[in-house]
Amino acid sequence: MNVKFLNPFVEAAYEVLRAETGVAVARGDLALDKHPYVTDDVTVILSLVGRVEGTVFYSMSRETAMALASLMLGERLRELDGLAQSGVAELGNVITGRATVKLADAGYASTISPPTLLVGRGATISTLDFHRLVVPLDSDCGRVLIQLAVREGANRGQTMAALPVPARPALAGS
Amino acid sequence: MNVKFLNPFVEAATEVLQAEVGVSPARGNLTLHKSALTTDEVTVLISLVGQVQGVVLYGLSVATGLALVSRMMSQDFAEFDSLAQSGVAELGNVITGQASIKLAGAGAAADISPPTLILGRGVTISTLDFSRIVVPLACDLGQITVHLALRESPSDGRGLSAVPLLANVGLAAAGRSAP
Repeated sequence: MNVKFLNPFVEAAYEVLRAETGVAVARGDLALDKHPYVTDDVTVILSLVGRVEGTVFYSMSRETAMALASLMLGERLRELDGLAQSGVAELGNVITGRATVKLADAGYASTISPPTLLVGRGATISTLDFHRLVVPLDSDCGRVLIQLAVREGANRGQTMAALPVPARPALAGS
Repeated sequence: MNVKFLNPFVEAATEVLQAEVGVSPARGNLTLHKSALTTDEVTVLISLVGQVQGVVLYGLSVATGLALVSRMMSQDFAEFDSLAQSGVAELGNVITGQASIKLAGAGAAADISPPTLILGRGVTISTLDFSRIVVPLACDLGQITVHLALRESPSDGRGLSAVPLLANVGLAAAGRSAP
Protein backbone atom coordinates (compact mmCIF):
# COMPACT_ATOMS: atom_id res chain seq x y z
CA MET A 1 0.00 0.00 0.00
CA ASN A 2 1.36 3.28 -1.04
CA VAL A 3 0.59 6.50 0.81
CA LYS A 4 0.91 8.54 -2.38
CA PHE A 5 -2.41 7.10 -3.50
CA LEU A 6 -4.10 8.51 -0.43
CA ASN A 7 -3.96 12.25 -0.96
CA PRO A 8 -6.02 12.25 -4.17
CA PHE A 9 -8.83 10.58 -2.20
CA VAL A 10 -8.61 13.01 0.70
CA GLU A 11 -8.55 16.01 -1.64
CA ALA A 12 -11.41 14.62 -3.71
CA ALA A 13 -13.50 13.90 -0.61
CA TYR A 14 -12.84 17.37 0.69
CA GLU A 15 -13.83 19.01 -2.61
CA VAL A 16 -16.84 16.83 -3.28
CA LEU A 17 -18.29 17.05 0.23
CA ARG A 18 -17.86 20.79 0.09
CA ALA A 19 -19.52 21.13 -3.30
CA GLU A 20 -22.29 18.60 -2.81
CA THR A 21 -23.23 19.11 0.81
CA GLY A 22 -21.67 22.45 1.70
CA VAL A 23 -19.93 21.10 4.80
CA ALA A 24 -16.32 21.78 5.68
CA VAL A 25 -14.27 18.69 6.38
CA ALA A 26 -11.34 18.27 8.75
CA ARG A 27 -8.94 15.41 8.23
CA GLY A 28 -8.05 13.27 11.24
CA ASP A 29 -5.02 11.08 11.84
CA LEU A 30 -3.99 8.50 9.34
CA ALA A 31 -3.74 4.86 10.42
CA LEU A 32 -2.56 1.67 8.73
CA ASP A 33 -4.84 -1.23 9.49
CA LYS A 34 -3.86 -4.82 8.73
CA HIS A 35 -6.98 -6.31 10.24
CA PRO A 36 -10.26 -6.93 8.51
CA TYR A 37 -12.67 -4.03 8.70
CA VAL A 38 -15.72 -4.51 10.91
CA THR A 39 -18.52 -2.60 9.26
CA ASP A 40 -20.21 0.52 10.52
CA ASP A 41 -23.90 1.09 9.67
CA VAL A 42 -23.30 2.14 6.08
CA THR A 43 -20.38 1.27 3.81
CA VAL A 44 -19.93 2.28 0.18
CA ILE A 45 -17.59 -0.07 -1.69
CA LEU A 46 -15.90 0.74 -4.99
CA SER A 47 -13.14 -1.11 -6.79
CA LEU A 48 -10.35 0.34 -8.90
CA VAL A 49 -8.82 -1.51 -11.80
CA GLY A 50 -5.84 -0.29 -13.79
CA ARG A 51 -2.44 1.07 -12.82
CA VAL A 52 -3.83 1.36 -9.34
CA GLU A 53 -5.96 -1.54 -8.23
CA GLY A 54 -7.88 -2.47 -5.13
CA THR A 55 -10.84 -1.33 -3.16
CA VAL A 56 -11.93 1.80 -1.38
CA PHE A 57 -14.59 1.86 1.34
CA TYR A 58 -16.39 4.87 2.73
CA SER A 59 -17.92 3.99 6.06
CA MET A 60 -20.18 6.01 8.30
CA SER A 61 -23.01 5.80 10.78
CA ARG A 62 -26.63 5.82 9.71
CA GLU A 63 -27.05 9.37 11.11
CA THR A 64 -24.10 10.64 9.10
CA ALA A 65 -25.35 8.95 5.95
CA MET A 66 -28.76 10.53 6.34
CA ALA A 67 -27.34 13.95 7.18
CA LEU A 68 -25.12 13.88 4.09
CA ALA A 69 -27.87 12.61 1.80
CA SER A 70 -30.28 15.22 3.20
CA LEU A 71 -27.89 18.06 2.44
CA MET A 72 -27.07 16.64 -0.96
CA LEU A 73 -30.67 16.28 -2.02
CA GLY A 74 -31.84 19.44 -0.31
CA GLU A 75 -34.56 17.76 1.69
CA ARG A 76 -34.66 16.28 5.16
CA LEU A 77 -34.60 12.49 4.89
CA ARG A 78 -35.91 10.57 7.88
CA GLU A 79 -34.96 7.06 6.96
CA LEU A 80 -32.24 5.37 4.97
CA ASP A 81 -34.51 4.50 2.08
CA GLY A 82 -33.59 3.84 -1.53
CA LEU A 83 -33.16 7.51 -2.31
CA ALA A 84 -30.88 8.12 0.67
CA GLN A 85 -28.87 4.99 -0.12
CA SER A 86 -28.48 6.04 -3.70
CA GLY A 87 -27.39 9.51 -2.56
CA VAL A 88 -24.68 8.12 -0.29
CA ALA A 89 -23.49 5.67 -2.92
CA GLU A 90 -23.35 8.48 -5.46
CA LEU A 91 -21.25 10.53 -3.07
CA GLY A 92 -18.77 7.66 -2.90
CA ASN A 93 -18.88 7.34 -6.66
CA VAL A 94 -18.19 11.02 -7.28
CA ILE A 95 -15.38 11.17 -4.71
CA THR A 96 -13.72 8.10 -6.17
CA GLY A 97 -14.20 9.34 -9.72
CA ARG A 98 -12.59 12.63 -8.87
CA ALA A 99 -9.75 10.87 -7.07
CA THR A 100 -9.06 8.72 -10.12
CA VAL A 101 -8.85 11.83 -12.30
CA LYS A 102 -6.16 13.11 -9.93
CA LEU A 103 -4.44 9.72 -9.92
CA ALA A 104 -4.49 9.63 -13.72
CA ASP A 105 -2.84 13.07 -13.78
CA ALA A 106 -0.10 11.59 -11.60
CA GLY A 107 0.39 8.78 -14.10
CA TYR A 108 -1.84 6.14 -12.54
CA ALA A 109 -4.82 5.72 -14.77
CA SER A 110 -7.57 3.45 -13.52
CA THR A 111 -11.23 2.72 -14.02
CA ILE A 112 -13.70 2.46 -11.20
CA SER A 113 -16.54 0.02 -10.71
CA PRO A 114 -20.08 1.09 -9.94
CA PRO A 115 -20.65 1.50 -6.20
CA THR A 116 -22.01 -1.26 -3.98
CA LEU A 117 -23.70 -0.33 -0.73
CA LEU A 118 -23.49 -2.38 2.42
CA VAL A 119 -26.01 -1.64 5.14
CA GLY A 120 -25.57 -3.35 8.48
CA ARG A 121 -23.17 -3.10 11.35
CA GLY A 122 -20.79 -5.80 12.50
CA ALA A 123 -19.94 -7.75 9.34
CA THR A 124 -16.27 -8.28 8.63
CA ILE A 125 -14.78 -7.19 5.33
CA SER A 126 -11.41 -8.55 4.44
CA THR A 127 -9.34 -7.13 1.63
CA LEU A 128 -7.06 -10.17 2.05
CA ASP A 129 -3.46 -9.27 1.29
CA PHE A 130 -4.21 -5.58 0.77
CA HIS A 131 -3.53 -3.43 3.83
CA ARG A 132 -5.87 -0.57 4.47
CA LEU A 133 -5.01 3.05 5.05
CA VAL A 134 -7.73 4.65 7.13
CA VAL A 135 -8.36 8.40 7.24
CA PRO A 136 -11.19 9.91 9.25
CA LEU A 137 -12.93 12.96 7.79
CA ASP A 138 -14.92 14.93 10.33
CA SER A 139 -17.65 17.41 9.54
CA ASP A 140 -20.85 18.75 11.07
CA CYS A 141 -22.59 15.70 9.61
CA GLY A 142 -20.41 13.30 11.55
CA ARG A 143 -17.44 11.17 10.66
CA VAL A 144 -16.76 9.45 7.35
CA LEU A 145 -13.84 7.02 7.24
CA ILE A 146 -12.01 6.58 3.97
CA GLN A 147 -10.50 3.09 3.91
CA LEU A 148 -8.11 2.63 1.08
CA ALA A 149 -6.80 -0.81 0.13
CA VAL A 150 -5.06 -0.23 -3.17
CA ARG A 151 -1.69 -0.95 -4.71
CA GLU A 152 0.08 -0.37 -7.96
CA GLY A 153 -1.64 -2.50 -10.57
CA ALA A 154 0.05 -5.50 -12.07
CA ASN A 155 -1.36 -4.96 -15.53
CA ARG A 156 0.23 -1.56 -16.01
CA GLY A 157 -3.05 0.01 -16.88
CA GLN A 158 -3.66 -2.06 -19.98
CA THR A 159 -7.27 -2.98 -19.84
CA MET A 160 -8.38 -5.89 -21.94
CA ALA A 161 -10.65 -3.55 -23.77
CA ALA A 162 -7.61 -1.56 -24.83
CA LEU A 163 -5.88 -4.55 -26.39
CA PRO A 164 -8.00 -5.67 -29.28
CA VAL A 165 -6.60 -8.62 -31.18
CA PRO A 166 -6.16 -7.57 -34.79
CA ALA A 167 -8.58 -9.53 -36.88
CA ARG A 168 -6.38 -10.24 -39.88
CA PRO A 169 -2.95 -8.86 -39.07
CA ALA A 170 -0.88 -10.32 -41.91
CA LEU A 171 -3.38 -10.31 -44.71
CA ALA A 172 -4.51 -6.75 -44.30
CA GLY A 173 -2.07 -5.31 -46.80
CA SER A 174 -2.02 -8.10 -49.34
CA MET B 1 -29.15 -6.70 -16.54
CA ASN B 2 -28.65 -8.96 -19.42
CA VAL B 3 -29.08 -12.72 -19.19
CA LYS B 4 -26.43 -13.30 -21.84
CA PHE B 5 -23.82 -12.47 -19.22
CA LEU B 6 -25.02 -15.35 -17.11
CA ASN B 7 -23.85 -18.42 -18.97
CA PRO B 8 -20.15 -17.55 -18.93
CA PHE B 9 -20.34 -17.44 -15.15
CA VAL B 10 -22.23 -20.70 -14.80
CA GLU B 11 -19.83 -22.44 -17.20
CA ALA B 12 -16.78 -20.95 -15.50
CA ALA B 13 -18.05 -21.94 -12.05
CA THR B 14 -18.71 -25.48 -13.22
CA GLU B 15 -15.27 -25.81 -14.80
CA VAL B 16 -13.39 -24.25 -11.92
CA LEU B 17 -15.21 -26.21 -9.22
CA GLN B 18 -14.57 -29.38 -11.17
CA ALA B 19 -10.88 -28.63 -11.65
CA GLU B 20 -10.08 -27.16 -8.25
CA VAL B 21 -12.41 -29.04 -5.96
CA GLY B 22 -13.49 -32.08 -7.97
CA VAL B 23 -17.23 -31.52 -7.65
CA SER B 24 -19.84 -31.09 -10.37
CA PRO B 25 -22.36 -28.47 -9.36
CA ALA B 26 -25.97 -28.61 -10.52
CA ARG B 27 -27.54 -25.36 -11.54
CA GLY B 28 -30.77 -24.41 -9.81
CA ASN B 29 -33.50 -22.06 -10.96
CA LEU B 30 -32.71 -18.54 -12.03
CA THR B 31 -34.34 -15.64 -10.28
CA LEU B 32 -34.22 -11.90 -10.87
CA HIS B 33 -34.03 -9.67 -7.81
CA LYS B 34 -34.50 -5.93 -7.72
CA SER B 35 -34.16 -5.58 -3.97
CA ALA B 36 -31.00 -5.66 -1.91
CA LEU B 37 -29.29 -8.93 -1.11
CA THR B 38 -29.09 -10.12 2.48
CA THR B 39 -25.77 -11.84 3.01
CA ASP B 40 -25.09 -15.44 3.84
CA GLU B 41 -22.17 -16.15 6.19
CA VAL B 42 -19.50 -15.67 3.54
CA THR B 43 -19.69 -13.40 0.49
CA VAL B 44 -16.99 -12.87 -2.11
CA LEU B 45 -17.40 -9.58 -3.95
CA ILE B 46 -15.66 -8.88 -7.25
CA SER B 47 -16.25 -5.95 -9.57
CA LEU B 48 -16.06 -5.96 -13.34
CA VAL B 49 -14.95 -2.90 -15.23
CA GLY B 50 -14.94 -2.67 -19.01
CA GLN B 51 -17.49 -3.29 -21.69
CA VAL B 52 -19.46 -5.10 -19.02
CA GLN B 53 -19.58 -3.45 -15.64
CA GLY B 54 -21.00 -4.25 -12.26
CA VAL B 55 -20.54 -6.62 -9.40
CA VAL B 56 -20.50 -10.38 -8.96
CA LEU B 57 -21.19 -11.84 -5.54
CA TYR B 58 -20.69 -15.43 -4.46
CA GLY B 59 -22.61 -16.30 -1.30
CA LEU B 60 -22.05 -19.44 0.75
CA SER B 61 -22.13 -20.75 4.30
CA VAL B 62 -19.01 -21.15 6.43
CA ALA B 63 -19.52 -24.93 6.34
CA THR B 64 -19.54 -24.92 2.54
CA GLY B 65 -16.55 -22.59 2.46
CA LEU B 66 -14.59 -24.91 4.77
CA ALA B 67 -15.53 -27.97 2.75
CA LEU B 68 -14.46 -26.30 -0.50
CA VAL B 69 -11.08 -25.10 0.75
CA SER B 70 -10.40 -28.40 2.51
CA ARG B 71 -10.73 -30.13 -0.86
CA MET B 72 -8.91 -27.39 -2.73
CA MET B 73 -5.85 -27.50 -0.49
CA SER B 74 -6.16 -31.20 0.44
CA GLN B 75 -6.06 -30.51 4.13
CA ASP B 76 -8.81 -30.34 6.71
CA PHE B 77 -9.87 -26.88 7.77
CA ALA B 78 -11.80 -26.72 11.03
CA GLU B 79 -11.73 -22.97 11.32
CA PHE B 80 -12.46 -20.26 8.80
CA ASP B 81 -9.07 -18.65 9.26
CA SER B 82 -7.25 -16.32 6.90
CA LEU B 83 -5.93 -19.18 4.76
CA ALA B 84 -9.42 -20.56 4.32
CA GLN B 85 -10.74 -17.06 3.60
CA SER B 86 -8.08 -16.51 1.02
CA GLY B 87 -8.92 -19.88 -0.56
CA VAL B 88 -12.59 -19.01 -0.92
CA ALA B 89 -11.77 -15.56 -2.27
CA GLU B 90 -9.37 -17.14 -4.74
CA LEU B 91 -12.06 -19.50 -5.92
CA GLY B 92 -14.29 -16.50 -6.65
CA ASN B 93 -11.38 -14.79 -8.34
CA VAL B 94 -10.61 -17.74 -10.62
CA ILE B 95 -14.28 -18.27 -11.54
CA THR B 96 -14.71 -14.58 -12.33
CA GLY B 97 -11.46 -14.51 -14.28
CA GLN B 98 -12.52 -17.48 -16.40
CA ALA B 99 -15.93 -15.94 -16.93
CA SER B 100 -14.36 -12.67 -18.07
CA ILE B 101 -12.26 -14.56 -20.64
CA LYS B 102 -15.46 -16.11 -21.97
CA LEU B 103 -17.15 -12.71 -21.97
CA ALA B 104 -14.22 -11.22 -23.86
CA GLY B 105 -14.56 -14.02 -26.40
CA ALA B 106 -18.19 -12.96 -26.84
CA GLY B 107 -17.11 -9.37 -27.45
CA ALA B 108 -17.65 -7.98 -23.96
CA ALA B 109 -14.19 -7.53 -22.50
CA ALA B 110 -13.83 -6.57 -18.86
CA ASP B 111 -11.15 -6.38 -16.21
CA ILE B 112 -11.87 -7.72 -12.77
CA SER B 113 -11.00 -6.19 -9.43
CA PRO B 114 -9.22 -8.06 -6.64
CA PRO B 115 -11.72 -9.97 -4.47
CA THR B 116 -13.16 -8.56 -1.26
CA LEU B 117 -14.49 -10.95 1.35
CA ILE B 118 -17.49 -10.11 3.54
CA LEU B 119 -18.07 -12.25 6.61
CA GLY B 120 -21.27 -12.01 8.57
CA ARG B 121 -24.81 -13.03 7.96
CA GLY B 122 -27.69 -10.61 7.60
CA VAL B 123 -25.96 -7.54 6.23
CA THR B 124 -27.70 -5.89 3.31
CA ILE B 125 -25.79 -5.41 0.09
CA SER B 126 -27.40 -3.11 -2.40
CA THR B 127 -26.25 -2.90 -5.98
CA LEU B 128 -28.51 0.15 -6.34
CA ASP B 129 -29.89 0.50 -9.84
CA PHE B 130 -28.38 -2.79 -10.97
CA SER B 131 -30.86 -5.65 -10.64
CA ARG B 132 -29.42 -9.04 -9.79
CA ILE B 133 -29.68 -12.36 -11.52
CA VAL B 134 -29.34 -15.10 -8.93
CA VAL B 135 -28.31 -18.67 -9.72
CA PRO B 136 -27.84 -21.31 -7.05
CA LEU B 137 -25.16 -23.90 -7.74
CA ALA B 138 -25.60 -27.00 -5.62
CA CYS B 139 -22.91 -29.62 -5.13
CA ASP B 140 -22.02 -32.30 -2.57
CA LEU B 141 -20.33 -29.72 -0.40
CA GLY B 142 -23.25 -27.35 -0.19
CA GLN B 143 -24.66 -24.47 -2.16
CA ILE B 144 -22.96 -21.50 -3.73
CA THR B 145 -25.25 -18.70 -4.80
CA VAL B 146 -23.99 -16.58 -7.67
CA HIS B 147 -25.40 -13.06 -7.86
CA LEU B 148 -24.76 -11.11 -11.03
CA ALA B 149 -25.42 -7.40 -11.10
CA LEU B 150 -23.97 -6.52 -14.47
CA ARG B 151 -24.79 -4.38 -17.44
CA GLU B 152 -23.24 -3.27 -20.64
CA SER B 153 -21.20 -0.13 -20.13
CA PRO B 154 -22.73 3.01 -21.57
CA SER B 155 -19.73 3.86 -23.77
CA ASP B 156 -16.83 1.70 -24.89
CA GLY B 157 -16.09 0.98 -21.27
CA ARG B 158 -12.73 2.66 -21.18
CA GLY B 159 -11.49 5.48 -19.06
CA LEU B 160 -13.77 7.38 -16.82
CA SER B 161 -17.07 6.71 -18.48
CA ALA B 162 -18.53 5.51 -15.21
CA VAL B 163 -17.91 8.78 -13.45
CA PRO B 164 -20.63 11.36 -13.70
CA LEU B 165 -19.75 15.02 -13.68
CA LEU B 166 -20.05 16.74 -10.35
CA ALA B 167 -23.76 17.24 -10.00
CA ASN B 168 -24.63 20.79 -9.15
CA VAL B 169 -27.52 19.99 -6.85
CA GLY B 170 -25.19 20.75 -4.00
CA LEU B 171 -24.41 24.22 -5.18
CA ALA B 172 -27.88 25.25 -4.15
CA ALA B 173 -26.88 24.22 -0.65
CA ALA B 174 -24.34 27.01 -0.35
CA GLY B 175 -26.29 28.83 2.32
CA ARG B 176 -27.42 25.78 4.20
CA SER B 177 -25.76 24.31 7.24
CA ALA B 178 -25.77 20.76 8.52
CA PRO B 179 -28.96 19.52 10.13
